Amino acid sequence: MKRKKNLQEILAEFQLNEEFNKNIVSWHTIPGRKAQTVPFPEDLHSKLIEALQQKGINTLYTHQKTAYEKIKAGESVVAVTPTASGKTLCYNLPVLQTILTHENARALYMFPTKALAQDQKSEINEIIQAAGVEINSYTFDGDTPANVRQRVRKAGHVVMTNPDMLHSAILPHHTKWVSFFENLKFVVIDELHIYRGVFGSHVANVIRRLKRICRYYGSKPVFICTSATIANPLELAEMLTEELMQLIDYNGAPSGTKHFVFYNPPIVNKPLNIRKSATLEVRKLAGELLKNKIQTIVFARSRVRVEIILTYLQELVKNELGPKSIMGYRGGYLPTERRKIEKGLRSGEIYGVVSTNALELGVDIGSLQVSIMTGYPGSIASAWQQAGRAGRRHGEALVIMVASSSPLDQYIIQNPDYFFNKCPETARINPDNLIILIDHLKCAAYELPFKAGETFGTIGEALEELLEYLTEERVLYRNGDKWYWMNDSFPAHNISLRSASQENVVIIDQTDVADVKVIGEMDRFSAMTLLHEEAIYLHQGSQFQVEKLDWEEKKAFVREVFVDYFTDANLAVQLKVLEIDRLKRLDAAEIGFGDVSVGAMATIFKKIKFETHENIGSGPIHLPEEELHTSAAWVSLGESLELGRERTEQGLIGAAHALQSIAPLFVMSDPQDLHVIPQVKADHNEKPTIFFYDRYPGGIGLSEKIYSGMAEVITETRNMIVRCECQSGCPSCIGTEAAGKTAKQDAVQMLEAFMGKEGHQCH
Amino acid sequence: MSIWNSRGISHPLSAEGFSAEDLFFFDTETTGLGTGAGNTIFLLGYASISDGEIIVRQHILPHPGAEVPLYDSFLRYVNYNTLITYNGKAFDWPQVKTRHTLVREHVPKLPEFGHFDLFHAARRLWKHKLGSLKLSVVEAEVLGIKRKDDIPGYLAPMIYFDFIETKQPDGMLGILKHNEIDVLSLITLYIHITFQLHGIDHNQTRIESYEVGRWFAAIGEQEQAEKVLTKLMDGGDLTSFQAKRELAFQYKKAKEWDKAKNMFQEVADSGDLKMMLEACVELAKIFEHRIKDITQALAYCDKAIRLLAQSDKQDEWQKPLQFRKERLMQKYRKSLDNHGSIIVTKI
Repeated sequence: MKRKKNLQEILAEFQLNEEFNKNIVSWHTIPGRKAQTVPFPEDLHSKLIEALQQKGINTLYTHQKTAYEKIKAGESVVAVTPTASGKTLCYNLPVLQTILTHENARALYMFPTKALAQDQKSEINEIIQAAGVEINSYTFDGDTPANVRQRVRKAGHVVMTNPDMLHSAILPHHTKWVSFFENLKFVVIDELHIYRGVFGSHVANVIRRLKRICRYYGSKPVFICTSATIANPLELAEMLTEELMQLIDYNGAPSGTKHFVFYNPPIVNKPLNIRKSATLEVRKLAGELLKNKIQTIVFARSRVRVEIILTYLQELVKNELGPKSIMGYRGGYLPTERRKIEKGLRSGEIYGVVSTNALELGVDIGSLQVSIMTGYPGSIASAWQQAGRAGRRHGEALVIMVASSSPLDQYIIQNPDYFFNKCPETARINPDNLIILIDHLKCAAYELPFKAGETFGTIGEALEELLEYLTEERVLYRNGDKWYWMNDSFPAHNISLRSASQENVVIIDQTDVADVKVIGEMDRFSAMTLLHEEAIYLHQGSQFQVEKLDWEEKKAFVREVFVDYFTDANLAVQLKVLEIDRLKRLDAAEIGFGDVSVGAMATIFKKIKFETHENIGSGPIHLPEEELHTSAAWVSLGESLELGRERTEQGLIGAAHALQSIAPLFVMSDPQDLHVIPQVKADHNEKPTIFFYDRYPGGIGLSEKIYSGMAEVITETRNMIVRCECQSGCPSCIGTEAAGKTAKQDAVQMLEAFMGKEGHQCH
Repeated sequence: MSIWNSRGISHPLSAEGFSAEDLFFFDTETTGLGTGAGNTIFLLGYASISDGEIIVRQHILPHPGAEVPLYDSFLRYVNYNTLITYNGKAFDWPQVKTRHTLVREHVPKLPEFGHFDLFHAARRLWKHKLGSLKLSVVEAEVLGIKRKDDIPGYLAPMIYFDFIETKQPDGMLGILKHNEIDVLSLITLYIHITFQLHGIDHNQTRIESYEVGRWFAAIGEQEQAEKVLTKLMDGGDLTSFQAKRELAFQYKKAKEWDKAKNMFQEVADSGDLKMMLEACVELAKIFEHRIKDITQALAYCDKAIRLLAQSDKQDEWQKPLQFRKERLMQKYRKSLDNHGSIIVTKI
């Protein structure tokens, strides 16, 4: 029998074997680091010391001690903590110490997901049990039964929850939590970096409301944040909590040597510059590792991609390992299923896991040896998080990033310096987005009446104006110097913190008539393209066909099938300008910014064969249009380019594709948050136009930033296309939708026309 | 009151040991649904009995911000023993607590009350015939009270918002009237329920009696339950079989196996598929484990399986029944074997 290779041998093979070696664009080795430790703080309670020693902890890392001391001194802190650096002790130690010395003290822990809260509860309970002390820590989420809730409110020293629960269940019912708020000493915000964009802007307002309630009950908690590596942890923490923060950004935890490999799949079609699919390359790489029983995590960007890779890998190693030794992990799996996978990974029963970014978060899955990314995850911070999943403390670890053909991936993989030297993304929030702010002012007024002269976060003088507006809308009622909630609704119920639609479609498996069961759920927007009738829905590597999608009731009925294809649906997007706020004329173009209405409709789907990825059939999708009102920036051609309609269209499509890759980079947003679409003849001005719109009702300022930096975005994009090695357009620059020999040249010409004279000088 | 005090029936709604003056019939009007902090109570109304007269008092919130005087005056008048409400356990009283918390430093503490919530009683007694258990529906359908020109409760928030804006009291007068009828109805309803529970309402239907019996059974008042249910056994209608079924379960709980068996056997011939099926299963259990008559147990198990074929409960019952049958068959064969071996030794 063939001997299993270890990681070192595989690394050597990758370096020597031509088949791998020729595709490796860059091999970057990050040396390991020794632990920097210090003795326990002198005042630390003897029981806590005992508990730590029982867990084999005899010293603290330097950052843990600094956090302890600052927090004990009453300062709010933000600690930047890579994966596996012992971040939980940064907050658990000072919190437990305080509760041991002041029995009434209370702490609120906020995690972005229920799963993380569950995880952390077990972790803190281990210490509490080992110390043998009477401290109650509870999770409080949608699954907490009503009879337990009362106990949590009365007796919970540490309450672990998520922002959604804080927003809709705790704050609006604060009168049931009086003693908790009166004694609240700490607010812990874990995974701070998640709170950016729309979600972060909402959460910042939830924290404003929390602080307002605390003031009412006379408490002033210390805020403790932990964050993955981002460019501006201090700024984000201070914006989110509106507190002065101390930054702890050095890290005393040890780490092993890490090899970071950039892998570009070979070109299979030279004239078209088409590369071999990243998915198939990942199959080869991961398969090799898994056959040698090396624990590997594979990240993919979409749920479908996760399931496809999972199917491939399970098939590939079914003789060496059982099918259950490789699992999928993504949103949409039920919590119990996820817990089982996490446990299997920690215990080593599961060798491989294929995941979306769901496993970027601090869910404890132990230490894996290899992390493979199928494509660039979209941001530097994300890439480091995913890389952090491999090699937690000791020993060598391997990280492979396999590029797809997308322009962004190709840009990153061919510029390793950009990745290794550029600071990770800046996380931005805009708590003062008018739509978001107004929503939370309503919630805040519901919780407590506003008093004249009160402030709401940084909103000072303007507050009165907003309250008067709500009074005119008959939501508030002013009496003397106070504004009272005067409406029969419960405002928090109509406000979701997480993007547009919170309503999920439930997926029901009816394969076994006697055992019909719910196997997952999916948000409405994704469901349009993934759960339409006849779609192949993949779940844990099994294929299910959607037999019926009940859009009204939000239910998709599926049955297990065995087919050799997957489905891919098209989403047609309509955009109408509602109001023009700003307009700037350039030489040959005009750029604008304003309110738009975007309609998205799933139109048709294609059946695509596994392995060959050829199109083997299609069908229509009958679902109603989903509508979104948001803000957009656009650029229109002033005069015709005399290319004819066909070439203008192809040029626009190509230019839009390229812009879609570069624009999010420019405004540092998730690619999903900012969309680009072309129109040959825009409804409002009848000119060839490219729109950039925020994928959030009311906008979150992304397209506004594009408006002010339009020239730079267009110039960068034009240069990217020109630099591309292909002849007439490829997936790595203008995409494949734009067809025709002249598409590339027309796209460049289009962008140059948008740039006007000024732009031309940049050559 | 004298009924409760003289008959000594033990029941959660019992006013034994109270005088009529101790009771406090209470209802609120609020600006919304739910029990969040922002849902304001703008009307606290209650009826109480004093010197043979009913006194209704209503405390109004003239404008938001006047809650301190509102709760202050309300709490000064409150010196009663037991609150009687309609859904007050889930709604009115928690909401009073919520709003009270917001002004708690300026007003007296909330007293501790006993609390009778008639909503639960209404649900037990009339769920079988009423689509909605709203107080107004129970009034009309059970008590036969017809309200004239009543303002429906769901309009109350709108009318109040209009009142504080315009200061015109017209709409509010309607709300006051509505609230007044609500609290007065509570008195009537409590009396009616008292009569129902004691079986002294001449118009009480058989189904109502049955529900009363069931209620006594559910709270563990076996003697009362048997008394009420036994009266319903004759008649051969559905209610009589339902009463027998309830009695059978009562006997089963009391481990009076023989009585339980007899009752279940009657239900097993009732003609109602669901009840028959259940009775056969229960009989199979009793014969197998208590009376130890395997042949009878098998017979009822088989009957249950035959009934199951016509029922829509296959998912739930198919497996357990098959399992039971196999086990019974084994026991049956074993008993034959044992028997056989005895014969052999005799020879």
